Amino acid sequence: MIEILLFFIGASLLLYVLFGGADYGAGILEMLPAGKLREAQKKVINEAMGPVWEANHMWLVLVVVILFMGFPPVFTTLMISLHIPMVALLVGIVIRGCAFTFRHYDAVQEPRSQRVYTILFALSSVWTSLWLGIIVASLNRGRMDMHTQHFYDAYVAPWFGIYPLTMGVFVVVIFAFLASVYLIGETQDLELKRMFTRRAFFLNIFVVLCGGLVFASAEAESSSLLQEFIKHKIALLMMVFATLMYMLLWFVIRRQKTLWVRILSAAQVTLILGGWLFLYAPNALITTEGPMSFYTAAAPPATQLQLVIALIVGSCFIFPSLFYLMKVFKT
Amino acid sequence: MNDLLAARSTMAFSLGFHIIFAAIGMTMPFFMSAAHYFYLKRKRPEYLELTKMWMKGVAILFAVGAVSGTVLSFELGLLWPGFMKYAGPIIGMPFSWEGTAFFLEAIAIGLFLYGWNRMHPWVHWATGLVVGISGFASGIFVVSANSWMNNPQGFTWVNGVVTNVDPVAAMFNKSWLHQTLHMQLAALQAVGFAVGGIHAYLYLKGRARDLNLKAMKIAMAFGAAAAIVQPFAGHFAAQKVAEYQPAKLAAMEGHFKTEKSADLYIGGIPDVEDQEMDYGLPIPGALSFLAFNDFNAEVKGLDQFPKEDWPPVVITHISFQVMVAIGTLMAILGSLYFYYLYLKKFPNNFLRALCACIPLGFIGIEAGWVVTEVGRQPWIIQGFLRTSEALSPIPGMQFHFYLFLLLYLFLGFVTVWLLKRMIQATQKKFEVPHD
Repeated sequence: MIEILLFFIGASLLLYVLFGGADYGAGILEMLPAGKLREAQKKVINEAMGPVWEANHMWLVLVVVILFMGFPPVFTTLMISLHIPMVALLVGIVIRGCAFTFRHYDAVQEPRSQRVYTILFALSSVWTSLWLGIIVASLNRGRMDMHTQHFYDAYVAPWFGIYPLTMGVFVVVIFAFLASVYLIGETQDLELKRMFTRRAFFLNIFVVLCGGLVFASAEAESSSLLQEFIKHKIALLMMVFATLMYMLLWFVIRRQKTLWVRILSAAQVTLILGGWLFLYAPNALITTEGPMSFYTAAAPPATQLQLVIALIVGSCFIFPSLFYLMKVFKT
Repeated sequence: MNDLLAARSTMAFSLGFHIIFAAIGMTMPFFMSAAHYFYLKRKRPEYLELTKMWMKGVAILFAVGAVSGTVLSFELGLLWPGFMKYAGPIIGMPFSWEGTAFFLEAIAIGLFLYGWNRMHPWVHWATGLVVGISGFASGIFVVSANSWMNNPQGFTWVNGVVTNVDPVAAMFNKSWLHQTLHMQLAALQAVGFAVGGIHAYLYLKGRARDLNLKAMKIAMAFGAAAAIVQPFAGHFAAQKVAEYQPAKLAAMEGHFKTEKSADLYIGGIPDVEDQEMDYGLPIPGALSFLAFNDFNAEVKGLDQFPKEDWPPVVITHISFQVMVAIGTLMAILGSLYFYYLYLKKFPNNFLRALCACIPLGFIGIEAGWVVTEVGRQPWIIQGFLRTSEALSPIPGMQFHFYLFLLLYLFLGFVTVWLLKRMIQATQKKFEVPHD
């Protein structure tokens, strides 16, 4: 039963990174200089994201619900130790969703208010992705201290440091990369296509560079990320494949093979996330007292059963609807 | 402000903010679908205009509701980890179903908002209806989770250790039916009167009269019907509260001393020091009758409970009175609405009364929610866990409070400003047709 729940957590995280991540990335791309293509880019982003962003955002809510119903100690530990980054993340989510909707649905489309919405949307996209990365890195950093009375040790030390920060930057770059890859196929305008292709190309270089920096910063903090990977063969293999995928991507992006670019970049991101999850599975997080496993943190069997039923029945409704949504807007 | 008060206040305005958007998000799609239906059937352009105007309102309000709802799902843990530790496994089930319903709603709203001319018109219409149905279902799930806090079931509690968890029994606790019924009706009622009132106002101002009259009728059909049924649902709810949460009922009524043939007070301010009701108008025996259908029944007073278990009596009593007063007024106006509809003429004074009702339903919802939540204090899980024991250990809760207060005030302001801009733009468009 727990395996099914773990599968749903992994799948939701993956879909959140792939779809929600591309949405975040679209906002991040609006920060980059676009010259005279700025308005055209905004239009493509509005059209591509409009119908799907509410649905894409739901994967995160799903993860939260699975955690608090199925693995309450994991949820409460996260919400106590990572209170500050979680609040920062929430502020970003609120401003970002509202700015995007307001930009599109303001009945009076005048340049001044539109500029404000766009700035808020872009800034909060960077901000939220950054904190998402910081939270991810904090999970396995081993600095969550549930017993100290000291404010810094309890609420700052778990997430404050160079390694979470580089992870945050890594996530920003990955999301921007996903968005640029995705947007190549969303426009017919050749000039825009060229711009997104160029960005995808450079951002992919940054993805690999930042990936390296994540390892370096972990070493600098004497977190044993590299050694963990070397010990764990599957995770290591996935990370190696993700890096090799870079060569293939470099090739297909150059040739503007839209479909293949999408598939390969999704595969690359899947391998990175998958490697990460495999590395620490079945641990949910690591505190100063050692790892907290999903198995020891699980809710009683009756609860697990109800959660599995809800997830499976829910999937029977959600996946056909999502498929229909994609069919209507993306073909 | 101490941490407990700051956390409670944060939760109060987060929920108070979200509940308005949730109420609109789960009922307004029905109004929109009705207008859309009339357009597809009769092909009159004003119905299309109306559908699109309401649709834009739904889009804006839905987004604000969705993000403020996400905040709440985190805040449960950020503010009350001591609650989630116990409550997650027991009452997570309705949340998992709510997640599913909300996911469907998010997909359907994407299809409806952007699907014009991309689907068969009736399929497109159906996606709008799905937005309403799944939103309505979400509301039921969330309120049934709340009803468990008022009437906890489905577990065994021994010295803070929970065993024998039965999520199904927890969800279908004895309070879920009356609470969801009461809340869903309140949403229909509040939103129906608010939307009806706005269009009545525009009609009275002589703007796009045909459009606004049609809009008013659609919204009021829902609002008035719900308002007429509501007193019965409310009475049903009060009887259940008398049975399962006697301390809450006593606080609602400002009822200090246990007695037979208890008086019902209209108005009044409870004096907690002297344990009596000041200035109220007593109706002999009516409280006994309302609570137990018997003029001589004994109604438990606050004297049956240790003073540290009393809910804040003044706030609970006044909120309850406000809610009942608004509900009564709306039931009368709702009946009048159908009478005037039958006569096919709405007097201007009636329309003016509707204008006055624009904010009333929401005030009623907020008041009712204060009765439910404040009336349960000092318990977060009635009879098992105190709110103070559930509080997060992190100090400096007041910063959390100020941050989100500022954010929500700003959001609320922008939303109202946007809706005003939208209504003005649509009215202009319809008054001066340009091709």
